[in-house]
Amino acid sequence: MTYFRATDPYPLESAEQTKLHEFYEYLAASRLVTTACRGCKRMDWPPRGFCPQCGSDQYDWVDLPQEGILHAFTVQETGVPAGFDKPLIFGIVKLYELRLFSRIVETEPAALGVGKRVRFTPLRVADDSEGKHRYLPAFKLAE
Amino acid sequence: MKRVALVGAGVGKFGVRKASFRDLIWEAGKACFDSIPAVKPKDLQGIVVGSVMPERTAFQSHISSLAAEALGIKPSHLSARTEHMCASGTVGIRYAYAFIAAGLADLVMVLGVEKLNQPSAEEAILNMGTGVDREWEAAYGLTAPPCFALAAQKHMAKYGTTEEQMAMVSVKNHNHASRNPYAHFQKGATLDQVLCSRMISTPFRLFMCSPITDGAAAVILASEERARDLTDKPVWIQGTGQVLDGFTLSSLHEDYSHWPALKRAGEAAYKMAGIGPADVDVAEVHDCFAIAEIIAYEELGFCDKGEGGRFVEKGLSDYGGTVVVNPRGGLIGCGHPLGATGIAQAAEVFWQLRGEAGPRQIPEAKIALTHNNSGMGEHVVMVYGKERP
Repeated sequence: MTYFRATDPYPLESAEQTKLHEFYEYLAASRLVTTACRGCKRMDWPPRGFCPQCGSDQYDWVDLPQEGILHAFTVQETGVPAGFDKPLIFGIVKLYELRLFSRIVETEPAALGVGKRVRFTPLRVADDSEGKHRYLPAFKLAE
Repeated sequence: MKRVALVGAGVGKFGVRKASFRDLIWEAGKACFDSIPAVKPKDLQGIVVGSVMPERTAFQSHISSLAAEALGIKPSHLSARTEHMCASGTVGIRYAYAFIAAGLADLVMVLGVEKLNQPSAEEAILNMGTGVDREWEAAYGLTAPPCFALAAQKHMAKYGTTEEQMAMVSVKNHNHASRNPYAHFQKGATLDQVLCSRMISTPFRLFMCSPITDGAAAVILASEERARDLTDKPVWIQGTGQVLDGFTLSSLHEDYSHWPALKRAGEAAYKMAGIGPADVDVAEVHDCFAIAEIIAYEELGFCDKGEGGRFVEKGLSDYGGTVVVNPRGGLIGCGHPLGATGIAQAAEVFWQLRGEAGPRQIPEAKIALTHNNSGMGEHVVMVYGKERP
């Protein structure tokens, strides 16, 4: 009865399942990258397969800095979704002019503050239905 | 363009309901038809149903046809479902409005229905994550409270807005809800209760958040000719606006306390109606969280930017103030059954402008505004009036 399988809250990350699979391949190798449009050089977050500025669907993967500035954050103490453990720290991290929404992990909430430096770290989440490892980009307090 | 009016409205009980999806449709449909005995289900030419996640909570798609059959409506001109997260109801009203204004239909029901409390609180919260970007936000465990919490943090840091001022929004709306028989919460609330309730996502405490609620509501829209035949007290749609600034937190304006899409949607609706914010007697705004109501005062022009906290503190958004905001109790007091919220807002202003709001009546209300949003980056505003536009 495969219809009755549990909900999968994570992205489909493999090459068969998404045009953006290279993002996840870099991520598994501890590199944080995003797309830069080949036509107009525009860089976006999240990565995208179509440039809204020039209409190109050709892009290169470019590395983002591993450290950024915490632009905003909140600590969710209760009411987190099924399958997630509380507390969850959500943050907006500024890298260049891009703002990345992400989770802050391995960090005491009291140590955080707007303007502090945070460092990229891949976060392992549940494997996909074929047993392939999956990661999401996360951050932790730098230093 | 033809002029369009609301001619009927009905709301079912909002709450954690032991009722089926169809029960909720029946309740709201019955209440709506009861409000206008001259209209029978067979008279309606169409139906639009706002509903966000019946696929997950009722294992049901094909919602407008289900609702039409449940109510005995046989659409001949329009049948559609609107899914637009929290603003699904008002987006449905805009569709019906546009159809009637264009002369493509004369009499249409817009119904909003949502059954969210299924099968457990944690799973209901998991479902709510479908409203943010799955790959780049929901996969991290994001739902609405942390998004709006970022707005509150910024508003507090930039303008000096306090927890107490946010709590005052909650107290006002809980107290208004105590006079609304359809509200999820009817016991009122005190400042201490709000400030001592448990922390959800810093700085939001439980009572500063709208709850997860089941419920349904319905209104009937008519062309001017039909409205004149059906009622002496049509409530006219005078203006409307909808603007998207961004979907993900990464693409919104970087100052999360600044909601340019709401300002622009409000301005569009005001311009179309030929009015300004000072003309609004009653406003139903989208207080999914207390900070949202404070920012709505500002972006809708009821007060200057940054003054929203002081606006509620001075009582200016309550009875006797400059504009009564959320007389039905808002989302905080009534609950937020997604697709039904925008319709329940329209029902409230329908009653207010007809002098039928009972203990919640605002004396001599002539112009009303409703505001429904889908996240911080997308806003829908309607202006209604007693006078034909």
